[in-house]
Amino acid sequence: MAQNALVIDGIGVDFSGFKAVDGFSTVIEEGEVRVLLGANGAGKTTLMDLISGKTKSTEGSVHLFGREITNLEEHQIAQAGVGRKFQIPSVFRDLTVRENLIVACARQPSVLGNLRLRRNAAERRRFDEVVELTALGDVLDRVAGVLSHGQTQWLELGMLIGQGARVMLLDEPTAGMTVGETMKTAALINRLRGDYTMLVVEHDMAFVREIASKITVMHLGKHLAEGRVEQIEQNPAVREAYLGSGGIH
Amino acid sequence: MKLRLTTRGALEAAAYGTFILVILLLPTVADVFWLNRFAKYLVYGMLGIAVALSWGYAGVLNLGQGLFFGLGAYMVAMTLKLQSETSMQQGADTPIPDFMAWNSQPGALKDLCCIAPGSWLWIPFQSQAFGIAMVLLVPTAVAFLIGWSIFRLRISGVFISIITLALVLLVRLLIVDWQPVTNGFNGLTDLGWLTFGGFEFDPYVVPTYYLVAFGTVAVLLLTRLLVATRAGLVLQATRDDANRARYLGYDVARYQVFFFTVSGLIAGIAGAFYVIASEFASPTFLDLTFSVSMVVWAAVGGRNSLLGACIGAILINTIQATVSESEMLAEAWKAIIGLIFVLVVLFLPRGIAGLARDIAMRLAALLGRGTPAAQPLQKSE
Amino acid sequence: MADTLFIGLSLASILLLVALGLSIIFGSMGVINMAHGELAMIGAYTAVLSGIYLHLNLIAAIPLAFLVTAGVGWLIERLVIRHLYKRIMDTLLATWGIALLLQQAIRLQFGATFFGVNIPGLGTGLQNVSLPAFFQQSWKIGDFVIQPYRSFIILVTIALAVATWALLYKTRWGIQVRAIMRNPEMAAACGIDVRKVSSMTFAYGSGLAGVAGVLLAGFKTVSPEMGATLVVDGFMVVVVGGVGSLVGTAAAAGILGEINGIVSLVSNDILARAVVLALVIGVIMWKPTGLFNFKGR
Repeated sequence: MAQNALVIDGIGVDFSGFKAVDGFSTVIEEGEVRVLLGANGAGKTTLMDLISGKTKSTEGSVHLFGREITNLEEHQIAQAGVGRKFQIPSVFRDLTVRENLIVACARQPSVLGNLRLRRNAAERRRFDEVVELTALGDVLDRVAGVLSHGQTQWLELGMLIGQGARVMLLDEPTAGMTVGETMKTAALINRLRGDYTMLVVEHDMAFVREIASKITVMHLGKHLAEGRVEQIEQNPAVREAYLGSGGIH
Repeated sequence: MKLRLTTRGALEAAAYGTFILVILLLPTVADVFWLNRFAKYLVYGMLGIAVALSWGYAGVLNLGQGLFFGLGAYMVAMTLKLQSETSMQQGADTPIPDFMAWNSQPGALKDLCCIAPGSWLWIPFQSQAFGIAMVLLVPTAVAFLIGWSIFRLRISGVFISIITLALVLLVRLLIVDWQPVTNGFNGLTDLGWLTFGGFEFDPYVVPTYYLVAFGTVAVLLLTRLLVATRAGLVLQATRDDANRARYLGYDVARYQVFFFTVSGLIAGIAGAFYVIASEFASPTFLDLTFSVSMVVWAAVGGRNSLLGACIGAILINTIQATVSESEMLAEAWKAIIGLIFVLVVLFLPRGIAGLARDIAMRLAALLGRGTPAAQPLQKSE
Repeated sequence: MADTLFIGLSLASILLLVALGLSIIFGSMGVINMAHGELAMIGAYTAVLSGIYLHLNLIAAIPLAFLVTAGVGWLIERLVIRHLYKRIMDTLLATWGIALLLQQAIRLQFGATFFGVNIPGLGTGLQNVSLPAFFQQSWKIGDFVIQPYRSFIILVTIALAVATWALLYKTRWGIQVRAIMRNPEMAAACGIDVRKVSSMTFAYGSGLAGVAGVLLAGFKTVSPEMGATLVVDGFMVVVVGGVGSLVGTAAAAGILGEINGIVSLVSNDILARAVVLALVIGVIMWKPTGLFNFKGR
């Protein structure tokens, strides 16, 4: 049995009376690709905010490989090994792709440690690895702001690999992508499977079937169901929750 | 790819080389009065660099850069004031600033310890080494404290501009109000010369020009090196998207504080050089107009280019001094600079440096060393 | 003491007129208008010139100055600001350039000095506006001296503040402005002509500054540089009061004006300003949404 990568225990946040996430618990094993489903407003993005430190929780805890990371600062959680990809891709738009990846691949977080011009061998190796995985070799010297939507998404994903994230939180990684781009993203995620643990928010069921090892369904901030793709599709509680939007397709 | 990158690098190196050569060779063609003037413009050039670093590279528009300039200036002016001959002629064994003697109560003890409330602060400035150490220390410490408060609280954008603006005005008022120690509105005048190993840096000799010129070159090259480091890259990343940098594991505030402090230190050093060349320090250094002027220079020269901002500052001040010979033109110039500024912001946001880079890249392309079509995709620095 | 408070209140009133315009413009357009003080200066010069050439008294100059500065503001928006939306820092810099231009325009008498022509009322010198006779005597109630002109300033400000409130909350234009303050994209999607509303907003805010300038001209000498410190003071009020909050802006103007008045009384003008600046820095540091902003972030 694999090690537990991410243990979320009864996490919740209270926005002056409104509980966007309410006592949510789940355990994600190392190497797993977990898909998080739920209607709009179910609390998926807020859950990611809670794990990554953007929002401070008012109850519960988060453990990463046995180490508590609840309510640490964003950069501390990132250093601990959590990478986050946003729904609207967030890259350094005025820097070149190369510079974006160099910043991501640096192994030193401190200012003084980065007062140097050259990269060390480990950083260079990781850089090359990321370029190979994301196939961005042809556009290394372009500014990130002019990349296509798909390329921007892959660059952001590449930055998570570069930063050495062991657990990746991916918020709708295929949003706005063409079918071809979506397929390519699925292939990339499947290549990363096993080496990285992923928690993915996604609506596109074809894509979910392609990548998910397990699905967790959220409803109104709470944990509703969890299981393999077929189990979830058969689950009456899930069907009930989704009835308004005509079930999942 | 590689070839175009080298073209860019070569062009930049050529620009830096030419600039440095010109300012180092200037004494062969200019007389000492002109050199003294130009030394002051080089100081403004340093301020341009400081602004470009914090505005262009860090994305922090500091409207109070004059605070650090003023602090650096006063630190060195205090020590030079005590070197002045008049300070020795106040009827005491130790030097006493003339304004303190004039304003002192009848019968007050003629000594820095107690001639005026707070005058004891001047005592260590009898040592020139202490004064110079304070030039480096005080602006750095103040910038660090301000930066730390601002960036730890994640204050950003316009609010930083308003805080820094309020701070420079606040300190200016305190200096003006603390008349017994600072000589208020009048500032510190009639200063002595900086002496180093027995040599006196008379503002109107060539070595003094070289002192400022080498200082400027050193500041320019060191800052250029600094932004080329990984830390400099992380800083620019932070400017583009602070959250992304945080989620990559960088403590963004530390980078911002570090570079804000460096920018303050550069301004402080500039202030000290200015006093050496101009022989006075005044609260006008902390006027809002002066701090905003620095931003104007950097904007016209190119806010994202250290060299561009430096040249912008020198250029504008040279033109201004030339037209100021006639009073009529001087007034017209103020209107013209206002107009230039509006036009630059509207039509040339990357300033002269951006324009020069585009033209140079196009020329290089014509000479067959790159393709113009790929040029706009290059990083606009 | 009561006299001091009263004078403080009249200063606060002028501050409020300046700050109201800044706040509306900043709130709805995200523009930091560094030329706002110069617009007040233009208002003051309108009073000077209309006195010389049209023989209008100060009261009659108020609506005229409102129209003139609103017109100048409208032009600024059309020619410059419009091209800089979403570049908030750049609007700050561009309007600074405009401020220099406006100052020089007055100083150089719109260029007439180059041709040796002198236009009385303009130029580098100081100008004075004389108050109508009925403002010049003062009444006494017990120990308390009522200065009619100071009272007039306060009344005009109250009237304009109420008018601004009514415009923002009771008219169609006001709803549109408030919609743009909240979410410009959504407002545009709802069919609001954001550009047209923005020009009008800028013009209105500028007009308020013009009125402040006329009122200021009644007790201060008028000069091309008189506006320079106004914009800083105005901004302090906006920041302390909370952007987009009318009540907050009014309260902040009152507080800052009175603190300034009281500290100058017990120590001196310089320290009074220093105290106000320190207070403002503190507020931005610890409560960046302003003291009177009751909405959460």
